[in-house]
Amino acid sequence: MGTTAHPDPQSSLIDDLKRGDPSAYKEAVREYSPGMLAVARFYLDHSSAEEVVQDCWVTVIDAIQKFEGRSGLKTWLHRIVANRCKNKLRTSNREVATDFSESLDPELADRFNAKGRWDLPPRLKFHESADTLMENDALSGCLDKHLSALPETQRSALMLYEAHQHKSEDVCNILDVSASNLRVLLHRARQKIFLMVETFQETGEC
Amino acid sequence: MLMCRDLAGIASDYIDGELTSRQNLSVKMHLMMCKDCRTFIGNLRASTDLMKAHSSGRPDEEFMRRIDERVAEALKTWKPEDGDKE
Repeated sequence: MGTTAHPDPQSSLIDDLKRGDPSAYKEAVREYSPGMLAVARFYLDHSSAEEVVQDCWVTVIDAIQKFEGRSGLKTWLHRIVANRCKNKLRTSNREVATDFSESLDPELADRFNAKGRWDLPPRLKFHESADTLMENDALSGCLDKHLSALPETQRSALMLYEAHQHKSEDVCNILDVSASNLRVLLHRARQKIFLMVETFQETGEC
Repeated sequence: MLMCRDLAGIASDYIDGELTSRQNLSVKMHLMMCKDCRTFIGNLRASTDLMKAHSSGRPDEEFMRRIDERVAEALKTWKPEDGDKE
């Protein structure tokens, strides 16, 4: 296989990282660390997760020399983080506890009658666009609060899939969950956000 | 027949286009007849967009700076491997 010249910005960033260019590292750290932290938080508590992400960046300096670009840089970095977290869990003998049994959030499940019809249907339509809603500081703060209250497994799945726009297949690989379990995690997390926005729209309170 | 509760259970799969064509069809049929479920799907989709808009960006600058320091420290002693081309 010959080397092909890619004019895309990512491949020039990769070249700069390989040369050990400090400003390329600064750029990459800002671009990729939030996603790496989301991966680490799937496995570990907040401070251990931050520690792992920091350690990973140091190992990247050597590891990037062998990076061939078969996966994207983001996916590659996320895999490094996931592997490191798994090793850490293995040594501390901790397991990630996750309940995949039910796809409906209990609070939402209570809103149906015995026949499976809505007893308490959604009251209002969310009509404003996401960007307009985000200009509401109170709502934004409320969202922060609820996101951090989500079980880590749900939050990481949501972050990787929505905010960092990974393909399902990559998320499954990185987090070591099956495709069907990923679907459950995503759906549970979205329902929580749905319930939160509904309450906020109705009461103005978080 | 697909009930509202069933639909609520697979709503994310519907939004993400992960249903089989048969499931997809029965969701569409249900939505044609059920206003509450249409609202639900619309709101769930809006919540998803909201999440997306909310979480893009906002890195914790203090955390980034700590990484910068660790990387800068490691780069000081780092040497490119022998034989690398100019």
